[in-house]
Amino acid sequence: MAKGNERVAAGRRDFLKLAGVSAVTGTAAIAAGSATAEAAAPVEGAAGYRETDHVKTYYKLARF
Amino acid sequence: MPARNNGSGGLMTMGEAKLALSISEEDLLRANVYRLLAHVLRAGPSRAELDTFACMTGDDTPIGKAVTALARVAAGTTPEDASREFHDLFIGVGRGELVPYGSYYLTGFLNEKPLARLRTDMARLGIARRDEVSEPEDNIAALCEMMAGLIVGDFGNSADLAEQKRFFSAHVGSWAKVFFTDLEGARSSVFYACIGQLGAAFMDVEGQAFEMV
Repeated sequence: MAKGNERVAAGRRDFLKLAGVSAVTGTAAIAAGSATAEAAAPVEGAAGYRETDHVKTYYKLARF
Repeated sequence: MPARNNGSGGLMTMGEAKLALSISEEDLLRANVYRLLAHVLRAGPSRAELDTFACMTGDDTPIGKAVTALARVAAGTTPEDASREFHDLFIGVGRGELVPYGSYYLTGFLNEKPLARLRTDMARLGIARRDEVSEPEDNIAALCEMMAGLIVGDFGNSADLAEQKRFFSAHVGSWAKVFFTDLEGARSSVFYACIGQLGAAFMDVEGQAFEMV
């Protein structure tokens, strides 16, 4: 990676550090762990989101 | 339910840990925010999750203030409260108060061109909708999950910042801030108002950070 790119990356990291993103750290274990647990059998290369009640409402709205 | 772990070791799952060498701490934190948003936008939080949210402390930044508000409200919220809010907001009778799909926000209709464009990009990035899922991919929870996955490499190699920026600009940045602001102000929102506040603040930060890429 070129030096300029590294400087940009460092600037971005500093910005994120100051933006308070780290305040959300405390929930990481639960949020990340639960999301994984919900994907019953993670398929390689597949997003693990699951069917929810959104689906029913979606079909109602889409008039299927 | 995995064991609760509030130490710094709790930042990553086992699978993510081996990737950490090549992903900066700030990017892992971004993925955590996306995962939290995805998780509570998919279904109401559990008691254990509300308890964890209640322990968070924020600083004086917009994200920090949102976290502080979330912690305070989570402490007084039961899973039943949150679940009822979730239902009123997103399921409803006929429809919920909000319709959390990119296509709807961008065009006023579900299943329009923004969804088609998202599917094209997902195919290019090797992301597939699970077979048993019939919900369209441009749901806000799915998009937050995809952003987290691109950052940490759930779909193969983690996407570089240029790729993350392309995906964010095309499918998230164009509407998610508006959605989160709607969530913050929704009639049925109390716990979810804090999620809206956090999401809106985070979308601002993501947008600004991507401008530096």
